[in-house]
Amino acid sequence: MSSSAWWASALSEAVNGERPLPVVYDGEELVLFRNTKGQALALEDRCPHRRVPLALGCVVGDAVQCGYHGWIFDGTTGACTAIPNLHADERVPPRYAARAYPVAEQNGFVHVWLGDGEPSDSLPAASYQPRGREFTGSAVVSLQHDEYLAVMLDGPECLIDFEGVKITDFFLGDPIRRENHLVLDRGAVWTTQLLPANFVVDYPLILRTSVPLVGGDIRVDLLTAEERLICSVFVASGANRRRTTSLCWRGFMHDHDVEGAPLRWRAMRAARRPPFTVSSEIDGAQIAALLVAPSRDLTVLRQQSRIPATAAV
Amino acid sequence: MQTSTASNDMAATEAQGKKRKPRGDWIPTNYDLRDTWFPVSHSRDVTSRPIRRIIHAQPYFLWREGGQPMASEFHPTQLQSMMGAASALTGGSGLYPVVERYGYVWAWYGNPDNADQQLLPHIPFLPLDGDIPGYTQRTVRFDAASALSVENLLDLTHADFLHANTIGDGISESDVVEVEWTSETVTRTRIVTQKSVAPIMRWVGGVRAKYQDFRAVLHVHLRSNVCISYPRFRPGYDVPNLQPFLPVGKHRSRCDVTFNTTAAPSPFRYLMPRINYIIQPQDNSVVRPQNQRYFEQPEQRDLHSRFDAPGTRYRLLMEKLAKRQREGDFSYGSDADPGRDIAALLGMDG
Ligand code: FES
Ligand SMILES: [Fe+2]
Repeated sequence: MSSSAWWASALSEAVNGERPLPVVYDGEELVLFRNTKGQALALEDRCPHRRVPLALGCVVGDAVQCGYHGWIFDGTTGACTAIPNLHADERVPPRYAARAYPVAEQNGFVHVWLGDGEPSDSLPAASYQPRGREFTGSAVVSLQHDEYLAVMLDGPECLIDFEGVKITDFFLGDPIRRENHLVLDRGAVWTTQLLPANFVVDYPLILRTSVPLVGGDIRVDLLTAEERLICSVFVASGANRRRTTSLCWRGFMHDHDVEGAPLRWRAMRAARRPPFTVSSEIDGAQIAALLVAPSRDLTVLRQQSRIPATAAV
Repeated sequence: MQTSTASNDMAATEAQGKKRKPRGDWIPTNYDLRDTWFPVSHSRDVTSRPIRRIIHAQPYFLWREGGQPMASEFHPTQLQSMMGAASALTGGSGLYPVVERYGYVWAWYGNPDNADQQLLPHIPFLPLDGDIPGYTQRTVRFDAASALSVENLLDLTHADFLHANTIGDGISESDVVEVEWTSETVTRTRIVTQKSVAPIMRWVGGVRAKYQDFRAVLHVHLRSNVCISYPRFRPGYDVPNLQPFLPVGKHRSRCDVTFNTTAAPSPFRYLMPRINYIIQPQDNSVVRPQNQRYFEQPEQRDLHSRFDAPGTRYRLLMEKLAKRQREGDFSYGSDADPGRDIAALLGMDG
């Protein structure tokens, strides 16, 4: 298993060449922006001069300028390229630099490499292949990151809602390991159906959550009983300060007819209403009441994955 | 007194940084310097009705009895009953040594036996009896430890970025910064010729000239964070001001300022003392996140440029003083005379 330290950390459209964007993933405070070529760049969000967040500054060309004393840091290398008011013959010492991180962009996500060593080729959002209109967002939620991932298995209804769909907590088997993810199916029903969910013989819908053993890329898919994809959501998650969790997400509807879908649901889709909502306010009572079930496997596996490859031999 | 002029000594600063490595980085939030007078309140705020101020974690209740200012660890109604719990800072009496001068009530922080009026700073541009109009006095609060706030005030280059629209503007013909110091004070003098007139001077001060010269002296008392500042603009006015940063714990400081603009024309006279309401939020936006980060053990220590000379000197002197106090020495060095006449140092006669 190759563990990846790529973290999808922002939506592409949130990163621009004017205002630096502060984000926190895996506990690292980062500032993201774009250079004149449009490439996304990431630096530690801390000026090495007097520790002020670089996000308070502005983007100038291929660099970010700190808002306190105007030191300028190259976005690719992090090197301090200018200190205002120096004479023409004065040089900035070469070791003066902010920490720079490798960045890669794919499928609408800006990824930052937060590990040591060479970045791997495969990006978390590679599996997210949107078609048509997307629904996006970002938030910081008051739930610790490991818990957020665990709840995605134990009770995703606390974290995400699909309009017109009731997510049940009848797991369709135990979580299955697929590469770096644990994947779990559960039954779901249309909210319009008359019969209460527990009297349903076979669930018309499946909710499939896929939770990472390393990193923070979560995938949530809504499928028909025939395993045809209805809606796919990619949620990038990571630890923020004070045990909160940073999120950004993109999702889309698959382009085919959903057999058996209620009229009302079809009308909503025709009206281009967002098919899902990722909660930015999490209900503590609901979380506390959740039984710890399939996430037991996750806790064990995530801990194992944390052991560095060298130590595991 | 020792001096240095800003020169191309960045390499020197760097080398020094390497030598000092084992000592760790500067931690502005940890200073708790004793045996000094703090201007805890504007005189006019102290009445018969008690108010509460704080120095570090120590409460200072202030009120008047028969017109005389009183300072105590306890609310006056509890003074008798709480006396037994009085700390060493009041020598068990519950009452701090207190003096009124320059429009402030000054209270002693430290061993009360060492309280000596000779140690009060000399502030030549404020009347001894404090008889000065109310518009000159304002209160501002900083979301940072006092040492970080003082460093911000000593720091010159940030004005061009953080305060560009009010007091800053990078262009000038010549700009010389000198730093001199004793074991108890640091003095920064900046002499600028032919600088474009600061926005506030132009729009409110009625200075029509395109360029002006200015000389700004900032004299800082290390123990008390009392910052005595004398900027002189020509053409323009003198804007002498006192900015005493009261250490209110490790994360906050309070500044009861006086801008003596009584000699300047109206409306500048009235507006200048209020400029802190514009500038302070700008400074706060940086010192606030800074303060938190000085609690974190850094992998990488602060970097410096030669423009930081006043600030790095301040850091060094504060460290020395703190070290001396840690070793139990609270005395004032022979080179230090906090009460000496500083009119000439401030350039008031020139
Ligand atoms: S803190 Fe960034 S330039 Fe000074
Ligand atoms: Fe400032």
